[in-house]
Amino acid sequence: MTKRRATIALAALLAAILGPAVSVLGPAAEAAEQKTIVIDPGHGGLDVGAKGKFGNLEKTVTLAISLKLKALIEQNMAYRVLLTRDKDIDVSLENRSALANNNDAVVFISVHANGSFRAATGAETFYMSLTDLDEETRKLAYLENNSSQLETRISDDAKDAVKMILWDMAQAAYIKQSARLAEAIQRELPALLTTEGRPSRSLAVENRGIKQARFKVLTGVACPAVLVEVAFMSNPEEEQKLIDEGFQAKVAQAIYQGLVSYMKAVGSRPPAPLP
Amino acid sequence: MKIPKTVLVVGLLIVLAVLVAVFFRSGAREVIRKSEPAAAAAPGPAGAPAPPPDASAAQPTLKVSVFFVRPSDGLLAPEEREIPASDSLVQETEAFIAELIKGPAGDLAAAVPPGTKLGRVYITKEGTAYVDFSRELVENHPSGTSAELSTVYAVVDGLAFNFKAVKKVFILVDGEERETLAGHIGLDRPFSPDYSLIAKK
Repeated sequence: MTKRRATIALAALLAAILGPAVSVLGPAAEAAEQKTIVIDPGHGGLDVGAKGKFGNLEKTVTLAISLKLKALIEQNMAYRVLLTRDKDIDVSLENRSALANNNDAVVFISVHANGSFRAATGAETFYMSLTDLDEETRKLAYLENNSSQLETRISDDAKDAVKMILWDMAQAAYIKQSARLAEAIQRELPALLTTEGRPSRSLAVENRGIKQARFKVLTGVACPAVLVEVAFMSNPEEEQKLIDEGFQAKVAQAIYQGLVSYMKAVGSRPPAPLP
Repeated sequence: MKIPKTVLVVGLLIVLAVLVAVFFRSGAREVIRKSEPAAAAAPGPAGAPAPPPDASAAQPTLKVSVFFVRPSDGLLAPEEREIPASDSLVQETEAFIAELIKGPAGDLAAAVPPGTKLGRVYITKEGTAYVDFSRELVENHPSGTSAELSTVYAVVDGLAFNFKAVKKVFILVDGEERETLAGHIGLDRPFSPDYSLIAKK
């Protein structure tokens, strides 16, 4: 009798322990299914990035914008957001792309503030340049980017092929999608900064368009990836904008809008018919 | 029979002479050339072009376009310079880089940070130029994507544009390969020229 009661008590105890555990597993499993977006605040730690005339640093601004962008995405989209850093620390370029690859990220956005030898101004969105790839990788990249699966996602077969590309060249396989992501973001970036509301008038930055360049941080990323140069830290006027919280929020909003329209364009397409 | 034979021999000699002349005047630049050890290549720290000997008045020169940063839009724009012509491609390219380091004479802005010195240039048979700069290229660099692109392509486009034998450029710093120039643009493999950064007048 007492033994039985003890058993019941034990069962109840187990249920009490396991109950919440099971309900904890639920969201955890969901989270595992949730797709990941990686945001990369440029520089950090000893690597300060571009320096402004008034002593402001690229690394500080990129983190502030990235944190705002992360909050926006998490509030409004069903994605998990990972930051390559959430404080002022050094993170190697390799580890930044590795974070995206290890978490099967669907998008990688690197946030930077530009610097030039002269007082250049404006916002531009970059994606990786393939001009210096060797013949083999370029051929493979061409095949990847022109496969019928492009509009939806890279097929498993293609994924295997991607793995065969030197890992540090993984971005080559996603170049077309990266270009579209860059376009989507660059469409929003200057538009939102120039047109919406009165205060943003003074925050307006020039549209420098999308460009390709050989960014070390993008080469190894195995998903659509862009690098946004928000404005010029080397330009005193733009430096003042960059440290303005309102401007930072606008920039985050613009990148977020671009991301939303890219996701819509990519996700709403029906899967390519099988041959 | 005897006379035509002499004519034939003379004729052949002339043809041979012409062929030799053509050979040496044309594509001979494809060959790797090493500059004479130190003496000519390491004059002033700024790499002043090889010291012209006594015959300086007759020294043939080569017109080159050296690219600097246009302040209005940050694109690269040319300044015309004359460097001493040489039958050594290495010497000519080193003289070219010296002009780039010297900086602009007009309204354009420098594309290479102050204090940068040129180590050496090596050019492979396949036309890849290894250009070795001192560490100031990195240490004095303002950092930032646009600034790094200006530096890289002022070197890469400048060499490829002026010296047809140069197909690619590998930028080294203190004799070594670097991950990036100043945090953005990867220097870990050679660059092909990209003329999209050159201003279209």
